[in-house]
Amino acid sequence: MSVLQKPTSAPGPAPAREAPNPRKARPSAMRRKEARFFWLFISPWIIGFVVFLLGPMLASIYLSFTDWDSFTDPNWVGVANYVRLFTEDEIFHKSLWNTFYFAFFSVPLGMAIALFLAALLNKQMKGRKLFRTLVYLPHLVPIVAVALIFQMVLAPDSGPLNRFLAVFGIDGPAWLFESDWVKPAIILLSLWQAGGATVLLLAGMKGIPQEFYEAAEIDGASGIRQFWSITFPQLTPIIFFNLIMGIIGAFQVFAQVYILTQGGPDNASQMVVPLLFNEAFRNYRMGYASAISWVLFLIVMALTVLAFATSRKWVFYETEVKN
Amino acid sequence: MAALKVYKSSAFTYGWLTVASAIFFAPLVFVVSIALSSDQTVASGSFSLIPTEFQWDNFVRIFQTQQPVGNFVLNSVIISVFATVGQVFSSALVGYAFARLRAKGKNITFMIVLATMMIPAQITMIPQFILFKELGWINTFLPLIIPNFFGNAYNIFLIRQFVSRLPLEMDEAAMVDGLGYFGIFRRIVLPMMTPVLMAIAIFTLTFTWGDFMGPLIYINDDTKMPLALGVQLLTSTSQELQTPPWNLVMVGTVFLSLPMIIIYYFGQKYMYEMNITTGSAGVK
Repeated sequence: MSVLQKPTSAPGPAPAREAPNPRKARPSAMRRKEARFFWLFISPWIIGFVVFLLGPMLASIYLSFTDWDSFTDPNWVGVANYVRLFTEDEIFHKSLWNTFYFAFFSVPLGMAIALFLAALLNKQMKGRKLFRTLVYLPHLVPIVAVALIFQMVLAPDSGPLNRFLAVFGIDGPAWLFESDWVKPAIILLSLWQAGGATVLLLAGMKGIPQEFYEAAEIDGASGIRQFWSITFPQLTPIIFFNLIMGIIGAFQVFAQVYILTQGGPDNASQMVVPLLFNEAFRNYRMGYASAISWVLFLIVMALTVLAFATSRKWVFYETEVKN
Repeated sequence: MAALKVYKSSAFTYGWLTVASAIFFAPLVFVVSIALSSDQTVASGSFSLIPTEFQWDNFVRIFQTQQPVGNFVLNSVIISVFATVGQVFSSALVGYAFARLRAKGKNITFMIVLATMMIPAQITMIPQFILFKELGWINTFLPLIIPNFFGNAYNIFLIRQFVSRLPLEMDEAAMVDGLGYFGIFRRIVLPMMTPVLMAIAIFTLTFTWGDFMGPLIYINDDTKMPLALGVQLLTSTSQELQTPPWNLVMVGTVFLSLPMIIIYYFGQKYMYEMNITTGSAGVK
């Protein structure tokens, strides 16, 4: 998404409010007025929440138990949609597998690349800013443009990637046109944007106290040792946050698949959200598509919970030591 | 010895950085190369990585195709600007209230705000489509703009964190002077929020400008499409075996990407400012 620092720790109450209230005790009429203004000011969010989120969510639960083409009245079918999803729909199974495959490779690989680049860039050196910009630029390119660019980059005969491979005598695959290579191709496309997290990691590295490195230097620790013993543990909260956001993002992959492959060849690149889109807006199976969206939601939730549950083992929060 | 070690490590660093940034930058050079190539080169498919031809008139010809590219650009601008204005003002108001005003039930409400961040957009996509269809908003910009006027959980969170760190004295002085809550928000807090609002504006602008799925669902007419959706129409050809005008398609991707790079260039100051201010809550 951006270079902006995202929160990693669970937010508590606003710090200004945690301290004993600095304002003088006021008559309750004033407090009631303040409360009225609070609800007035947040009313846009409340309206948006009810109209665009809560209402649609409830409708979506209901729809997932119906058969509905969006033109006639919905037909209640109970859990039939879910049963079909898990037992019959092989394209759904395939798209689920493909999405896991994509997330499993693109998220950790992207993080490793971002971390490696950040480690290289975290030094006083000439041209640091230029290198940082070059690495970050792809992240600014909208995904539709990325898809169109990679359609050219990955072209089987004339594309620069295969011509580059040919220099080493490697006969490059037809990437988007081969069922064995289409998923790696889409992963490659997402890795091109991995530099986005580098800026975030660099900001985190700047916050690591210099004394740690000085102490390590005295103890004679090598650069690589310093990275794994100081830099990496200190960065785990950012890495953790990016991991979760990355997983959520990977499961929602859409435009690349829709523009480049339409799920092909032979559904080898079909993923959950493009499938959902097709069921809803091409085949007008709104009930079935709603059921897919809830399965997607549960998977994303489960993975997020898993990431949180395991984070205690490897995420290092400085505050845990300090306070 | 020590000097040699430093020299070796920097050669290693420069070596890797040069290779990595070349790999990351190469596709962008290739885009420019294709965008500037002639129709003959497109037909033969013999593009070079480094530009060898400079057909600058491709940047004019893109507006003369069968696709209304001028409309695409204009539509993108309209949608992004309105969406951004709505998002900034609504999130600012709500975020301010969560940071400064006290009311029973505030904390639980804020928890709900945070919880909504975890819900993927696909869950609400179908019912929202039905809702907008009932409202007669299909094939208009409204479904892409209006939801932005109701705030967004992530932006509200950012603003609340930011405002919580601002000193209270100004608010209190203004209150003593008889300024109401809205006056305090507009005259005192809003001007101090500039960095976080700029950051949110950049997010919303970038997201809306690049959004593909939203327009794909709601916009049917070519003349109403934003660039992110319209640009891929350039790849469709009248005959099956005809080669798409790749040079013009790549001009389209330049139009789609360049504004984002420019916005980032001018906006990074605010983004980094946000890095510092939310850093203590986030990173450490």
